[in-house]
Amino acid sequence: MEGFVEGLMTAIQPINIIWIVIGGFLGTVVGMLPGLGPATAVAVLIPVTFGMDPTSAIILMAAIYYGAMYGGSRSSILLNTPGDGSAIAATFDGYPMAKKGQAGQAMAISAVASFIGGILATFGFVALAKPLASFALQFGPSEYFLLMLLTLSAIVSLSTGKMIKGFIAMCLGLLLSTIGIDPQTGVHRFTLGMPHLAEGIDFLIVIIGIYAVGEVFYNFLTIYKEKKKQKENQDMGKTWFTKEQWKRSKWPILRSAPLGFIVGVLPGAGGTIASMISYSTEKQLSKKPEEFGKGAVEGLAAPESANNSASVGAMIPLLTMGIPGSGTTAVMLGALIMLGVRPGPMLFENDPVMVWGLINSMFIGNIALVIINVLLVGLLVKVLHTPAKVLYPLIIMLAFIGTYTLSYSTVDFYLLLLFGLIGLVMKVLDFPIAPLVLALIVGTDMEQNFRMALTSSNGSLSIFFSSGISVILMILTVLSLCYPLILKLIKNRKRKEDQTISG
Amino acid sequence: MRIIKIGLPILMIAVSLVFLISSFQIPKATLGSANGPLYFPIGISALMLILSVIYLVNELRNIHEKEEKLTDVFSKRAIQLIVVTIILGIIYALTFETLGFLISTILFLGVLLFYLNGWRKWLVNVIVTVSFSFITWYGFSQLLGVSLP
Amino acid sequence: MNLIDFKFLIDNFKKTFTFIYSEFNINSEFNKIRGVDIVKKLVVFVLAVLILTACSSNSTSGNGEYPTKNIEVVAPASPGGGWDLTARSVQKILKDNSLVDNNINVINKPGGGGEVGWSYLHTKDSHYLAVNSSLLLTNHFLGQSKLTYEDFTPLATLATEWQAIAVSVDAPYENINDLFEDIKNDPASIKIGVGPGLGNDDHLSFVQAAGMRDVAAKDLNFLVYDGGGGDVVTALLGNHVNAVTTSLSEVKEQHIAGKLKILAVSSEDRLEELEDVPTLKEEGIDMVFPHWRGIMGPPDMTEEEIKYWDEKLGEMVKSEEWAELLTNNDWDDFYQNSSDTKAFFDEQAELYKDLIGESGLVQ
Repeated sequence: MEGFVEGLMTAIQPINIIWIVIGGFLGTVVGMLPGLGPATAVAVLIPVTFGMDPTSAIILMAAIYYGAMYGGSRSSILLNTPGDGSAIAATFDGYPMAKKGQAGQAMAISAVASFIGGILATFGFVALAKPLASFALQFGPSEYFLLMLLTLSAIVSLSTGKMIKGFIAMCLGLLLSTIGIDPQTGVHRFTLGMPHLAEGIDFLIVIIGIYAVGEVFYNFLTIYKEKKKQKENQDMGKTWFTKEQWKRSKWPILRSAPLGFIVGVLPGAGGTIASMISYSTEKQLSKKPEEFGKGAVEGLAAPESANNSASVGAMIPLLTMGIPGSGTTAVMLGALIMLGVRPGPMLFENDPVMVWGLINSMFIGNIALVIINVLLVGLLVKVLHTPAKVLYPLIIMLAFIGTYTLSYSTVDFYLLLLFGLIGLVMKVLDFPIAPLVLALIVGTDMEQNFRMALTSSNGSLSIFFSSGISVILMILTVLSLCYPLILKLIKNRKRKEDQTISG
Repeated sequence: MRIIKIGLPILMIAVSLVFLISSFQIPKATLGSANGPLYFPIGISALMLILSVIYLVNELRNIHEKEEKLTDVFSKRAIQLIVVTIILGIIYALTFETLGFLISTILFLGVLLFYLNGWRKWLVNVIVTVSFSFITWYGFSQLLGVSLP
Repeated sequence: MNLIDFKFLIDNFKKTFTFIYSEFNINSEFNKIRGVDIVKKLVVFVLAVLILTACSSNSTSGNGEYPTKNIEVVAPASPGGGWDLTARSVQKILKDNSLVDNNINVINKPGGGGEVGWSYLHTKDSHYLAVNSSLLLTNHFLGQSKLTYEDFTPLATLATEWQAIAVSVDAPYENINDLFEDIKNDPASIKIGVGPGLGNDDHLSFVQAAGMRDVAAKDLNFLVYDGGGGDVVTALLGNHVNAVTTSLSEVKEQHIAGKLKILAVSSEDRLEELEDVPTLKEEGIDMVFPHWRGIMGPPDMTEEEIKYWDEKLGEMVKSEEWAELLTNNDWDDFYQNSSDTKAFFDEQAELYKDLIGESGLVQ
């Protein structure tokens, strides 16, 4: 713990506190906008950090990163349009809550859940950084493959009652993920000779298209009829959650924080997988799983806590090994190198003040962010008071700009419209969307890791059973798929028993 | 609405067939395992084909069930609105780089707002269009340093 | 955007907002203002916006000599990557040292391993430049691009990184030749980590070195980590691969900390801070493999324009900031002016053509 006090002194310097607040606020804002994520925000700030003290620079960048986790769920809750992969889980119950007139409560609980997740993960960081870093190293191709498989099966199993549709959506997502150059062999797959497709379809375009544009199209269907309904929705006054809601969310938040933290430490896994796994875990643990997806408050709180603690976990490989675990930390690494700091195994020894300064800044930052976000609730709820006919064109426009910032090309606009249409059709016909998007996000890595595992075992499937981690992941996958079935069986039996009793 | 209920699974079958057939046409890898890039797409598209067929069968079985939702949502005016938005989006994509961000955005947003919100609220439309375009342009290109045309 | 522009912008911004504000108030209070008046004001307002855009995109220096307008540096990658950092550093150092009077902007055009950005440059005038690297040559040989280096005007080679081959600390290899010996004896047992894709310098430098020790490319078992250098190093630290080939900067800190062992580097001489690591040459593998970055312009630039950049970039690489950038990134000075770069490209094109043929990526 040497350097802790000095780190604290560094973090509470007024200039650094200002950076924390600026970074947190900026992160919240970019998190809310579709397509603009923390990675872009950090990247465009690199020139700003050129002249800065490296400690202030990393404090600022980290604040943007976890600030975006706070902000990401705002648009999920209000408009059903997640700003990033890690905010998808917040649409499941956050948007239904908003529809029920609980937008303010939803945003408040998500801010508090994020705060608890962030703070707990920061404690975890202090205590466990080094052992966790070496734990993460044990994840080889086979373990990664199984982790992705677990995530996918957890998501598909959520679509109870429409499993076939869920699986079809998943297959479509996996197929879309194969578009582009195959990394293992350099072969072009389904690129139609277009250099633009060689690097694959950016999953963010699909998220923006299906969720944002698709949602707007879906609302267009009823926009001419909704005059009366709107008045019912005006009741958004409450900006704080009830005791009952807190009681329901308390344990899910506390459980999800360590889960998200551990997933976050694994390079490449990150907030999306963390929030998805935490959501499906909570649904399976819940006594009222049927309320999930219809505005269950714990279904919002749990993934919010998980993705925020994952963002803290992702800093561990960066600071202990110099290895970026996510897109954002990769950009942060680049920025730190420009400043002459080389995160790596020696950083804790060489520059303890910086590391401890950062850790302490995360405590301060999370406090600042929960205040910022709770204050913003009142303001953001007003978004829902904007007349729909003005709001929707604006969302479409933001979707276009967000898409443009991904690869600076208008070709993506056509993809955006196409996925908007696909999203519309899926919504109308009641197809679950999350399996498609998630399959697209993890698809490439899943296939590549599967093949890499086979290459390194020279073709033997036994590699998937060769480590303890693999076996555990395998069991969890089977459980997550069978759990809904078991539940159904139990219910059926109960019904039969009831029938025999009543009969 | 039957057309859509049956059409979608048939479309899914078609999509999976297209993927399946073009999977076989992926060039052989010259490095590593020659068929390595093929297995995954073939497996997934075959799975999707099977699932789509099951889906079709299910839909055919339930064809006589009335689903109000479908007939309810498809009004002519709404579909027209979506088509207009898509056409505007395509025009936007075409003009974005030649006219520049500000002009094309003002056009896109303005036309869409006037179409949707009506001519009576023209003042709101104009103010929202211009101020929003300008604020986003300023925010993105000047504050965030995103290079916009 | 320079300071005067900025003031102008702020002024207009204020005016715009006061206008909107007053307009809103009038409108919401009684809506009694006559329509004509509002239309007039609106026309003025729209005009102001249009003029503003025109101003901000076209600030000229106005003396008629090249460059006559803003310089645009194309980074054919997303913000945050190596190309983007190079482009933004060039932008910043040229501006900070007042080497170029005109505004310099960085444009990101990612996609197709540089292909999208370079195709874009190909259609532009001489005020557009783009950052490049060996992918400019390899994309063509791999059949991913119709454009070659000859379709552009090379302006300079700026800096280089060096390649490194590393193994885990407890691997039984004393030197690089032991590793190659092992691959020769039992190819299937050695997995080599590389990323983010085949056909890059990491991959081809290993193929070249192996070829010089008579190890056939088909005997090299590559695991390709599409996440890039970081993932490759993680895989080595976790013993999921036996060896990795990557940029020196990815493994340098780990080597110093004793977490892994660099067997050889691809530079001409041993490097500072890594006195204990031999070069490939010292190990009897006679090659030097730079992983260079440079800058180029569109086709058909005039003599004067080329001369202009020779002068400016030549001065830039002498600046202190540039030196600092090189040290921070573990890059080495590799400056060559436009004519040297042209000759260098010819020579490199030969090499890459052979290497790609040898690697088996193209048949």
